[in-house]
Amino acid sequence: MDIFSGLLSGFQITLQPVNFLYCFIGVFIGTLIGVLPGIGPTGAMSILLPTTFGLSPVSSLIMLAGIFYGAQYGGSTTSILVNIPGEPSSIVTCLDGYQMARQGRAGPALGIAAFGSLIGGTFSIIALMFLAIPLSEIAVAFGPAEYFSLICMSMVFSVYLARGSFVKAIIMIIVGLILSTVGMDLVSGRPRFTFGCGTLIDGIGLVPAAMGLFGISEVLMNLEESLDRVVFKAKVKNLLPNLEDWKRSIGPIIRGTLLGFPLGILPGGGAIIASFVSYSIEKRISKNPEGFGHGAIEGVAGPETANNAGAGGSFVPLLGLGIPPNVVMALLMGALIIHGVAPGPLMIKQHPEIFWGVIASMYVGNTMLLLLNLPLIGMWVKLLKVPYRILMPLILLFCVIGSYSLNNNIVEVVIMIIFGIAGYILRKFEFEAAPLMLAFILGPIWENAWRQSLVISEGNFSIFLEKPISCAALVLAAFLIITSGFKYYRKTKTKVIIE
Amino acid sequence: MKKYHIIPTLFWMGLSLFVMIFSYRLGLRGFHNPGPGLAPFVLGLLLLLISLYVLIDALLKKGRGDETPGEGQSRTNYGKIGLVLAALFAYSFLLERLGFLITTWIFLFLLFRSMGNRWVTTLVASTSTMLATYLVFTFFGVRFPPGIFGLGG
Repeated sequence: MDIFSGLLSGFQITLQPVNFLYCFIGVFIGTLIGVLPGIGPTGAMSILLPTTFGLSPVSSLIMLAGIFYGAQYGGSTTSILVNIPGEPSSIVTCLDGYQMARQGRAGPALGIAAFGSLIGGTFSIIALMFLAIPLSEIAVAFGPAEYFSLICMSMVFSVYLARGSFVKAIIMIIVGLILSTVGMDLVSGRPRFTFGCGTLIDGIGLVPAAMGLFGISEVLMNLEESLDRVVFKAKVKNLLPNLEDWKRSIGPIIRGTLLGFPLGILPGGGAIIASFVSYSIEKRISKNPEGFGHGAIEGVAGPETANNAGAGGSFVPLLGLGIPPNVVMALLMGALIIHGVAPGPLMIKQHPEIFWGVIASMYVGNTMLLLLNLPLIGMWVKLLKVPYRILMPLILLFCVIGSYSLNNNIVEVVIMIIFGIAGYILRKFEFEAAPLMLAFILGPIWENAWRQSLVISEGNFSIFLEKPISCAALVLAAFLIITSGFKYYRKTKTKVIIE
Repeated sequence: MKKYHIIPTLFWMGLSLFVMIFSYRLGLRGFHNPGPGLAPFVLGLLLLLISLYVLIDALLKKGRGDETPGEGQSRTNYGKIGLVLAALFAYSFLLERLGFLITTWIFLFLLFRSMGNRWVTTLVASTSTMLATYLVFTFFGVRFPPGIFGLGG
């Protein structure tokens, strides 16, 4: 199927009333989540995962993807109006967006963020189409050795780009992999680490684990501080940026698009890094860098474009290879697996309706977001003020019902609570849950690829180095480990010297 | 380093030993034909090595006053956290005994009230949320336990 007819069929799928509705629900909930305090896109996707089980795989993925990129939009709204980033990739938007709002220019800031997001998002979808298909055609020839090495590289990358400590992120990866081995071993049929608990035979469920780590533990974290916000009082008007704004923003938008997409493909926090890099580039090449941090529209346009372009880029490894580059994509992959669709290079051939349906839905969804966000901005501003004391019990209730309704099994609820406590303690000790979740979802594929490769090579590890792609991936992974290990060593060393 | 780093490290070491012992019992078999325990065993070993490294690193630097943890100054509201956890455990214990409607109402009432809402708000919010979630989820085909009073099965 060539791209044009593929896209056409994708639009036919997306514009079916059912899918159109779920696309709308997805972007609506996404924006809502981005705006409401105390719950991020990962948490929201985990909580809503069970509600999509009754849908067809296409509708389910369309809705979940909508939540993801919808949250990017909503996140920028809170950054600009309240100076609180709705999610990590709009942290830098606070710097100039909030200043613009204080100067009475909240409207143009919101407007340029929305238009930049639309432009960046649309271009990245086009690039995604052109990249994912050839990638999947190459990847069809991959054997288990290539998969093992690519997953290793992907996990190392996500550690390398993680915000916190390198060693802690590695520990999280290993723990995630260990947790993924719980349940029946598919080769030998022996239960592993189940300790007689029947629910664990199928492994630890993705939904209770994700809900606990990202939903419950987030609530527990938020209980520590008051989340009542000082919302910006001024009226939001003149949402359309004027000619001068456009003139200043068009450069950052183009650069943000070109920069964001490739950075988004990288495993780890693609969209987040894209927004940071875009901001620093715009500041460096600007004629008046001192304006940054005091309401420069370039500082909003660039990063907001880059993070949406990056969000599109992160679909490339998921749809082309079946290897999710970050935790959000990993949740999408988990949803696919639950629907019985094996993500990977064959997916585009075997389930073209999913691939093209999701791609087309992103065009539709991005347009919906623009219409949803700009004219209805007043409604979102009101929602900013929903107090957390009303929201918190609702989030908890959704978590409990969601995990219970999977199999009408109360043990799943208990597993979720345990993961919630664990996630809370991990956060307390500054361990990030995202690498753990990524490894947990990739674990079964990783272990299978490893075992298959060793069976093929009769226990000879050189199989991983003989295949060129596998070898390159492992060399790159080793290089990253060595450099960041060195950095870690030097950092602790200098710390000691300073003291 | 402070015990801030030592406690989790000791925990990871314990976990890794536990994983290694159990996966050894599952059967390793060797690299030519990996058994069910091989992958967890190797992972456990890796975890053990890394945590050993962190532990030695921490012990060597002891006494040099490395890195002051950011905790301690802020007063953590453990009361509320305990209450939420207790409510969650109680919910999972009572759900199949008392049934969905009653358990959910009590759960919500407790949480709304403890978060500092007024009595009226609490009453209205918990009752309406209970009914709304019940209607929406049963509409989507979720079956909730009716409980001893047989309400809303």
